[in-house]
Amino acid sequence: MKKYPLTAAQNMHYQWIRKYGTQQVSGLSIVASLQADLDFTLLEKCIRMEIKRYSCMRVQFTKPDSNGHIKQYISSAGTYEIPLKDLSDMTMEEADKTMQSWAYKTIDGDDIPMFEIFMVKLPEGYRGFFLHMDHRLIDSCGVVVMTNDIMSLYTHFKFGSEMPEDLADFEEVLLKDLSKTKNEKRFQRDKNFWDNILDKLGEPIYSDIQGPLTLDRARRKHNNPNLRAADIELKDLFVAVEDYKLDPDSSQTLYNFCQNNQISMTNLLLLGMRTYLSKVNNGQTDISIQNFISRRSTQDEWTSGGSRTIMFPCRTKISPNTDFLSAAQEIQDMQNQIYLHSNYDPQLIYDEIKKRYHTPDNTTYESCYLTYQPLTAKMDNPYLKDIPMHSKWFANGAATKKMYLTVSHTEDGGMNFSYHYQTADLNEKHVELFNYYLMRIIFRGVEQPNLTVGEIMAAV
Amino acid sequence: MSTKAKFLKLVSQYSKTSLDQLSGNARFREDLDFSSLDFMSFLGELEDEFDVELEQDKIIQIRTIDEALSMIQELQEVG
Repeated sequence: MKKYPLTAAQNMHYQWIRKYGTQQVSGLSIVASLQADLDFTLLEKCIRMEIKRYSCMRVQFTKPDSNGHIKQYISSAGTYEIPLKDLSDMTMEEADKTMQSWAYKTIDGDDIPMFEIFMVKLPEGYRGFFLHMDHRLIDSCGVVVMTNDIMSLYTHFKFGSEMPEDLADFEEVLLKDLSKTKNEKRFQRDKNFWDNILDKLGEPIYSDIQGPLTLDRARRKHNNPNLRAADIELKDLFVAVEDYKLDPDSSQTLYNFCQNNQISMTNLLLLGMRTYLSKVNNGQTDISIQNFISRRSTQDEWTSGGSRTIMFPCRTKISPNTDFLSAAQEIQDMQNQIYLHSNYDPQLIYDEIKKRYHTPDNTTYESCYLTYQPLTAKMDNPYLKDIPMHSKWFANGAATKKMYLTVSHTEDGGMNFSYHYQTADLNEKHVELFNYYLMRIIFRGVEQPNLTVGEIMAAV
Repeated sequence: MSTKAKFLKLVSQYSKTSLDQLSGNARFREDLDFSSLDFMSFLGELEDEFDVELEQDKIIQIRTIDEALSMIQELQEVG
């Protein structure tokens, strides 16, 4: 059985597991269910087929070596338990709460399956499956592909729809990814890009959603009035979630702005977030936000599973005299450059920063993280399209990030702003305030893109 | 495999469009539905595949398949 090193995206999760001392930070869980009398015998057969078809599900990890390094391999399609859990006597709220508790569980051990999957009977006649998986095996795009594939298998056997096409081979795509990291010229180009940012802008500086107090506290703790990084929370990782909806009409205003000005939604959101951070940090112009990107472009990358989501710091230094549209374009230019250099392991960026500026251990330059996730866990299957469904992503309950915003589309054409935040430092009010100002900043900018960023900060 | 054939194979992979459906004047974003990430990842792949380095100011001018292919061929001739 061949063993491979982790990719940069997988290593990111592994390093979090090591740093925070629990696999919980790498948990990913969903439920996908339909209000239909699903045939559980058939569903189990389809899930078993999926485990064979979607080989990323069979990835296991070796015991860490003396340096803490692990390797991955694809185990044979052995026997997996797929129990049926009956939650139908509960209310949906209680059922969600029970599944949420499953999402908090850790998958501990070496050379073991890194997922569990249950078939579930839910209240109100919903039937489906719950998946709990290690993030090193799959990301949200991968989950959507998997869910659709299972249900395509189901409708093939149940209703005679076409057999879904084979999914791309995880191992082949993994090998291609690993070979890219060995391309010396590519590595050097990527390294130059990231090093040049430091040459040009110097050491980054932390900006907190609560304002300068967190950085001030870190400066006192480290007895260094010039410290530019703040401590991260390592002990109390409990995460709470707040969701805020944006109605379809207002969302359409944002889509139109993006389309008319050739600005991506990610960059509009980044601009809104950085403007808020600048506002509450005394007009600080140098702002870094972590942005997650899902590196899936080719058909093989889309359907091979695996974890292809990786985060890079989007660092921009924008003068308050810059008009909103130009600021959005400035962010877009930076993001495009980042996309071009996204084969790089982001850990190397921080290794370089540490080498240059002696950043203390367990400190960070970023308080906010963004994922723009246009995909939903919806089953995209014509045989199921009129059947009500209940699907939900469950937080793993352990946040490595102070505030992590996931922006997704809702089925009615609106948007959902989902905030996962560490309760050690933040509460619902902080997040509510952030979302309130984020909306005001973005909509003021979209309505009057000629206003400067400084004018918008003052106006909102 | 010729530069053009290799190039078109990559376009086909990134655009999820079969080779016989690709035309030289197809625009990456408008016609082939490339996102910013797709387009920049594709350019990175071109650099690796053809061992060239793309110039930033030229990248932003590329809109169509033919323009990208011409740029690669020019860079290969220079290199």
